[in-house]
Amino acid sequence: MASISISASLQRACSSQHVRRKQKPIPKPTYSLGTKQVMKAVTLDMEAQKGYKTDTKEEPASEMNYKSKDPEERLKEDFETESSAPKFRDERWKNGTWDLNMFVRNGRMDWDSVIIAEARRRKFLEMHPEATTNEEPVKFRSSIIPWWAWLMRTYLPEAELLNGRAAMIGFFMAYIVDALTGLDVVGQTGNFICKAGLFVTVIGVLVLRKTQDFDNLKKLADEATYYDKQWQASWKDQNATSSSDRIGNT
Amino acid sequence: MAASQIQNPLQNPLYQLSIRKTRPCLHKPHYLTINAAGHHLSGRKLRVAVIGGGPAGSSAAEALASGGIETFLFERSTSTAKPCGGAIPLCMIDEFSIPLHLIDRHVTKMKIISPSNLAVDFGSKSLRSHEYIPMLRREVLDSFLRTRAQSAGAQLIPSLVTHLEIPSSYFSPYIIHHSINNSRKTLAVDAIIGADGANSKVAKFIKAGNYTCAIAFQERIRLPDEKMEYYQNLAEMYVGDDVSPDFYAWVFPKCDHVAVGTGTVCAKQDIKLYQRGIKERVKSKINGGKVIKVEAHPIPEHPRPVRVRGRVALVGDAAGYVTKCSGEGIYFAAKSGRMCGEAIVRASDGGELMIGEDDLKREYLMEWDKKYVSTFRFLDLLQRVFYGSNVAREALVEVCGNEYVQRMTFDSYLYKKLAKGDRWEDLKMVFGTIGSLMRCKIVGREMEAFKL
Repeated sequence: MASISISASLQRACSSQHVRRKQKPIPKPTYSLGTKQVMKAVTLDMEAQKGYKTDTKEEPASEMNYKSKDPEERLKEDFETESSAPKFRDERWKNGTWDLNMFVRNGRMDWDSVIIAEARRRKFLEMHPEATTNEEPVKFRSSIIPWWAWLMRTYLPEAELLNGRAAMIGFFMAYIVDALTGLDVVGQTGNFICKAGLFVTVIGVLVLRKTQDFDNLKKLADEATYYDKQWQASWKDQNATSSSDRIGNT
Repeated sequence: MAASQIQNPLQNPLYQLSIRKTRPCLHKPHYLTINAAGHHLSGRKLRVAVIGGGPAGSSAAEALASGGIETFLFERSTSTAKPCGGAIPLCMIDEFSIPLHLIDRHVTKMKIISPSNLAVDFGSKSLRSHEYIPMLRREVLDSFLRTRAQSAGAQLIPSLVTHLEIPSSYFSPYIIHHSINNSRKTLAVDAIIGADGANSKVAKFIKAGNYTCAIAFQERIRLPDEKMEYYQNLAEMYVGDDVSPDFYAWVFPKCDHVAVGTGTVCAKQDIKLYQRGIKERVKSKINGGKVIKVEAHPIPEHPRPVRVRGRVALVGDAAGYVTKCSGEGIYFAAKSGRMCGEAIVRASDGGELMIGEDDLKREYLMEWDKKYVSTFRFLDLLQRVFYGSNVAREALVEVCGNEYVQRMTFDSYLYKKLAKGDRWEDLKMVFGTIGSLMRCKIVGREMEAFKL
């Protein structure tokens, strides 16, 4: 019976204090947004701690006043207590985008640091969500970073692992097939079955990287077809209705 | 005397036989059903009750009444309306002949805002001049559709349905127990269309099974004039872990106020937290506003396990016809109501013949699934890919910046047709999407590195 229009009085009763205490669900940051660059984050850390403390102090005092105020005042008061939350500040972040001129090192554009700076900004906003404003809209698009700059941060370590595995498998398979059939490596590359086997092995190594990958794939397949099964459920109802029909026959 | 399903044209007159379209891929009947389907009703028309007078129920009642069937429309509260976003696709105006004066706002701009506050303008370049998203008030739309159903011939019964008796034999009618003005009454009907929403009583009585629901929570806020000017014809969508873990939060303009709300499936107990989150994010834009109403409602996530049983069919929210990803339900409710009504008219030959469960399944369920399952499946895929984590949401917003993507989205949303696009552009869009996802994943991994 959840289709109720909850009136404003219910909202008041519904422990506004409870909501306030839960307002920062993520554990308070004692992290350091540590990079070698300018550390404005240190001061931000202090502000965050302060902000949280003032909130908890305000709670018992304002709890009694809260209930007596009308919705409009309450709305304003909610916002005022939040203004002590830290905002993202970085000297290279100007007008809603990164100033790319500040990332130039030794006369060359340092895209790597752009990626790191953007990651830091997003992490910060994840921990302390900020209100959007029309005055300073965010305009930075990660697509301006060229594709080759991303390669350094992609799956290099994993690629190394997989290449190593594939090479080891390849070497020992070549040895075993040679021992069994007498075909040496040159001969094996000419044979169709060997080539097919090689293809399957390569795909297998790519797909089944660890033993848990197998379970992941199974879960993925189940998830992908789950919605479909829900739609088909109506059609599978045949057996249930047929028995009830047979009762009602003359 | 029952007409048998075994085709024997010499012994049984033709009107007692029902014509079956055989599609063995959907169900293999390996039992013999002896039923009354196709039985001629002597001296009276088929009686159908539509329980629930929202868009689904009213469209069903209108289709039934126009087809010549004796229709009863039950609605327990004709003055209040379900809390709702209120956006309908453009094609609904044509298909359901909705007069333009009912529309409160023409939304021509949409903004989608990522967790890192990247705002993408949706529609300023990709919407054509005659296209917009109409926003209406549910009470206005619902009462219009109900009065239209009444003028088509449906009888509106403003009472609460309390109990449903399932008949024991195939010829007995369904008995509906309802209470009006504290007096209990009963009504006997041959078939029922359940259009009573997410907490459907009809579904409970026919044991249609449960489904998971999302909860949508919104507050209506009246803004000062200059802030309202910004939302004149702009709707905003916010994504992020702070506003919803698996859905989006919205700011939709209504007649003279905005509705700020959010929804979630998996974290219903924290909904107030997320509502706070969205109000924080739009803080500067709704500063000085006054909350005039707070409302919440469940939204089904997927179809019920059973949508047709006996001579009862579920339509609209009761059946679970709400798309994932966008949470759109009004159009599908009205359309399913109409399709079900028309199916009954067809199967009963204008109210002359009795209908059976197979008729409902064949004419209504099969048609509906054929038409819309792919749409629902596609939106489910989008939701799973893009609404899972902040990383994926950033990618979603980046992808939405592409004009081709916007055009395709509007085409499929406004006209409910699979948009035919340029193959080359489609390919570029796919690569662009993969690229965005990969980039955001890489930035996401860098973000992990900042944790202690």
